Amino acid sequence: MRIEDIIKLALGPGKASDLDFTTWEALLSEIITGDAFGVDRMDYLLRDSYHSGVVYGKFDHFRLIDTMRILPQSPSGCENDSDEPALGVDTGGLQSAEALLLARYFMYSQVYFHRVRRIYDIHLKDFLKTWLENGAFSINADEHLRMTDNEITKAILEASRDPASRGHDAAVRLTAHQHFRLLYQRNPYDVKINPEAAILIYEAAKDQFGEENVRYDSYSGKSGITEFPVRLDDGRIASSISVSNVLKDLPVPAFDYIFVDPVILSEAQEWLEKRRENIISPAQEE
Amino acid sequence: MTRLQKTAVLTKLVERLRERGSWSGETHIQKAVYFLQELLKVPLEFNFILYKHGPFSFDLREELGAAYADGLLKLKAQPLPYGPSIVSTPETGDLQSRFSKTLRIYERQIDFVADRLGVKKVSELEGLATALYIKFNGAEAGDPAQELHRLKPHITVKQAESFVDELELLLEEGIGLLSEIGSV
Repeated sequence: MRIEDIIKLALGPGKASDLDFTTWEALLSEIITGDAFGVDRMDYLLRDSYHSGVVYGKFDHFRLIDTMRILPQSPSGCENDSDEPALGVDTGGLQSAEALLLARYFMYSQVYFHRVRRIYDIHLKDFLKTWLENGAFSINADEHLRMTDNEITKAILEASRDPASRGHDAAVRLTAHQHFRLLYQRNPYDVKINPEAAILIYEAAKDQFGEENVRYDSYSGKSGITEFPVRLDDGRIASSISVSNVLKDLPVPAFDYIFVDPVILSEAQEWLEKRRENIISPAQEE
Repeated sequence: MTRLQKTAVLTKLVERLRERGSWSGETHIQKAVYFLQELLKVPLEFNFILYKHGPFSFDLREELGAAYADGLLKLKAQPLPYGPSIVSTPETGDLQSRFSKTLRIYERQIDFVADRLGVKKVSELEGLATALYIKFNGAEAGDPAQELHRLKPHITVKQAESFVDELELLLEEGIGLLSEIGSV
């Protein structure tokens, strides 16, 4: 096997956009990296669910894998439509596919984008940017592999105990539970008024309290809607959205968080209460 | 363009395609945006690669996902076995009013794409968009129809020749439009 083949299969067309994929290479890569049925996703949902002690990430992966098929992308009956193949399932695997995609939604909502986990990620990044040489991990393979969780955990603890060390502030926030607290999170009412409500509040909060006291985190709709072909019992091919009300109505995960230093939380909450409406009011294009 | 300006253009394109009878599934939107951006130079800045049914943008898929999450576009399920259509929502009008200046600037390009591609099926959009991709991404030395067949083996050489011919007409018309509006 050539290195280029491994890169293609491991990254997929989305991340290896400078490489040309044949239809079959794209399919093989989808088996590994795909949004709907990628084994990488199946693996991390089950593993993360187990290790974090939540049950949301579980689904019947044996049944799902047994029923996966390479099918025409286009539903039956679309006259003169494309015959390009895609990864799909037999109708008997549809509930397992629904369970996988529900597991993904719940793991995103309850684990990966839990507000406390997100702010700890941000403090960890703040620490690493200060502590690592040139603010980034080495791209030398040997040096990169020598840097493990153990080295970093030790460095965080040492930095938290020494006010003169690099990354001291972020290290204290990580070790002494002094993490920034949630000031604002995305909600449907504000999004309806202005889809950019969160970023506007973040900008205003930075101006009011200083950049060092405010953090912003955002995620929206990265994978869009997941649609795949389903082979029905009578042999026809259907879109997953047309045969599954669960998939049709599955929300797209979207999160916006604004965090502030706990020292200014009360002041910031009071400030936001008074100004939110004004800040998020949509401006007309000039 | 800002993110919401792009979303406003996408929502207008979706509406115009639907007015022309398009199914407006994700594939239709992907290919229509590819023509809007590459042929008619609307600066949407999506990165397209050759993937599902020809040129495909993961950035655009993300942008559509964000528009669903913000309630600016939604999926409309269609009767079995067909895939869903992408349609506008009650909130779309507010967004379009807010970015009416941007929409006025690109109105003719949007209409051009909707007029020419609105009635096309996925297989036709796949052939035309892949032919455009080949035209704009090298392969000038070889026969474009052979290249199209090589990249998409389920498209026969004869079908590929027909797509290449149709693309030439579209290119001519598109360049004509750009001349009229002073974009070239």
